[in-house]
Amino acid sequence: MNPTGLAVRFARAKEAAVFVLPLLAFLLVLYGMLAWTFYTSFADWEGTAPNYTFAGLKWYRFMVGLDRFWVDLGNNLRWLILGVAPTVVLALFIAYLLEIGAIKGIEAYLRTLVLYPAAMSFVVTGTIWSWMYQPDRGVLNTLLRAVGLDALASGYTTDPATATYWLILIFVWQYLGLGVLILQASFRSVELQEMVESAMLDGASRLRILFAVLIPNIRGGILVVVSLLLISALKVFDIVYVVTFGGPGYATDVLALFQFIATYQQHLVALGSGLAMVIFALAFIIIIPYTVYALQRWFE
Amino acid sequence: MSKGATKAPVSQIVVGVVIAALVAGVAGYWAGTQRGGGMAKAEERKLEIFHWWTAGGEREAADAMFQALKAKYPDIQLVENPVAGGGGVSHRVVLQARLSANLPPDTWQTLGGAELKSYVDGGYLVPLDSLYTEIKYSDAIPKPLANAVTIGGHPYVVPLNMHIQNILYYNKKLFDELGLKPPTTFDELLAAAKAIKAARPKMSPLGLGTKEKWEAAFVLDSLLLELGGPEYYVKLYKGEVDVATDPIFKAALDRLNTLRPFIYQFHAGLTWDESCGLVVSGDSAMVIMGTWAIGYFKSRGWNPGVDFGAVTFPQKPDRILLFHPDTYGLAKGAPHPKATLDWLKVVASPDLQVPTDVTQGGLFARIDIDPGQFPDPIRQELQNYVRSNPGKLILDQHGSIAPFSFTQAYWDVAAAFTAKPDVAGTVKGVNGLFTTYKVQEGAAWYQWP
Repeated sequence: MNPTGLAVRFARAKEAAVFVLPLLAFLLVLYGMLAWTFYTSFADWEGTAPNYTFAGLKWYRFMVGLDRFWVDLGNNLRWLILGVAPTVVLALFIAYLLEIGAIKGIEAYLRTLVLYPAAMSFVVTGTIWSWMYQPDRGVLNTLLRAVGLDALASGYTTDPATATYWLILIFVWQYLGLGVLILQASFRSVELQEMVESAMLDGASRLRILFAVLIPNIRGGILVVVSLLLISALKVFDIVYVVTFGGPGYATDVLALFQFIATYQQHLVALGSGLAMVIFALAFIIIIPYTVYALQRWFE
Repeated sequence: MSKGATKAPVSQIVVGVVIAALVAGVAGYWAGTQRGGGMAKAEERKLEIFHWWTAGGEREAADAMFQALKAKYPDIQLVENPVAGGGGVSHRVVLQARLSANLPPDTWQTLGGAELKSYVDGGYLVPLDSLYTEIKYSDAIPKPLANAVTIGGHPYVVPLNMHIQNILYYNKKLFDELGLKPPTTFDELLAAAKAIKAARPKMSPLGLGTKEKWEAAFVLDSLLLELGGPEYYVKLYKGEVDVATDPIFKAALDRLNTLRPFIYQFHAGLTWDESCGLVVSGDSAMVIMGTWAIGYFKSRGWNPGVDFGAVTFPQKPDRILLFHPDTYGLAKGAPHPKATLDWLKVVASPDLQVPTDVTQGGLFARIDIDPGQFPDPIRQELQNYVRSNPGKLILDQHGSIAPFSFTQAYWDVAAAFTAKPDVAGTVKGVNGLFTTYKVQEGAAWYQWP
């Protein structure tokens, strides 16, 4: 190797450092904090002052002994299933309707309308929806009563049996637009457009084109939407905080809200860290399929 | 210019930035470690204060506090770090971070009782024995109030007010119209609720909001106090009652269950102020709430003694006032300890307490202030009662005899019960909370009477 080659290499290394260093700093902060939280969950930090004495599984045992933890876990699973599945299916149909121009003329308006909720903060939409749900004077019950459907009027988020489902509905409404946007984009590859054209020439029905041609060929897009929604559903906090604050009692509580309550209200910091680790573990499980898929694509 | 020469500045900038960040970090850390240590030169006349009085009505009370400070010590420069959001929730998040990082503000707002104890246990506060002796504050405030700010024999904070929890507010015009007497026992409450329901079938006689959860525990507390009396109440929250077999706790839940048909049905969606709003809007006729509700009713244009009345509930077997104070202390390692002590003297003075408490809604911490300073008959009467019966004060749900970790969980269970009553399940649940959160150990500090 000649000296000039070495100089070039050095210059390249410096160039790489420009990009790698910020990434490294970012990773260090992110995973450093993660490791810190992980350790804290095994420490004995109870009260306002930090206490890093190792306590083993003490606070994890405490956690699984709490009824509230299991209620939260059940609610988080409800969010994961009911927050994601209907959103993806609905988004797929709406994206397809927009794509084939079934509703000509208003397509642009509809797209804006569907996407608009996604542009708002959960704090805003949560407040709006809690006004709609308000059982006495809220929009929904007032409308139902006006058309004589009094029997359908309900307590919505104030009824412990159904409250979580009404919260999930807000999530579906809010994330639908994002799903539509991503799926519509994934319809637009050249190969796919050609396949759709030839299928149409063959006389395939529009529904058949959707199920036989489009869906099998946009797995990447669907996986992105599903992963994104799963993670958003898993870390849900704001909707619950704003609309019900976990109530009635703790019927609508979720892990993220309990983590907040345990850490800052109850001053059980080790417990709060443990709950954060449970959320992390669930997130990890969720992104594995996506990672595997992404890696497969990478090596293809 | 060669290719290499154009690149060099970029990497140099990056390296420079990294070094600058490191230097700044180290310098910041060094500055942090220097705080509070070796105060050779004269202390700056500055006061950094943390409080959560940011909402309407409370903001005005905070301004009244700082005006009093300014009048006494015009040279003290005030640095406020109020956290918007109210209720002290976000306040505690930021404060906890500052304390854990060893960068405390000079002084911060805390409730007396269990919350104060958590800061004392963390070693974040300096005992104020000499200040208390100097200004003779123990003689100026009721004994139970002094007990609520004394941990392990030392007073740690200076209380500026007392809020009373167990007050029943009622629509005075409606009560007069129906010829009802304001209830002071459970039986009277039930009778009044029935009479109101009969006369106004669309009304929910007792307003309630349990979104913040503690409201449910307020109602339960009143029922417990009547059934068990003050000694029982204290023993219960000190963890000295076996809830699993205790007939009184079960009876209180049964009574709450009996009341449920007369309670506003959708309480889970309402905050405390919205539950008082039910009384103003005519959806309800009564609500059990702390003294801070007086300010709310007034802000809605309701006049005490004209539109609404208030009674201590219950008044049998004894008229006990469940209370908690707002307080300020001196941080360990406070950057400006002298200015902070000056501030605490102002907090203890009538000059601060009169304008602040009249605005914010509580009673005066000092019992030597003329109750006539209050514009409303409700607080005049309460302050008079405290003056002649200081021993009737017991720490409430907010001040909390039991550890805060327990109290939070207890509120949830109480709120869950009002939404979906299950007496056996709740008894079992509450009993479990007492052991889970080691209440007996955590509440041993509290002495009453």
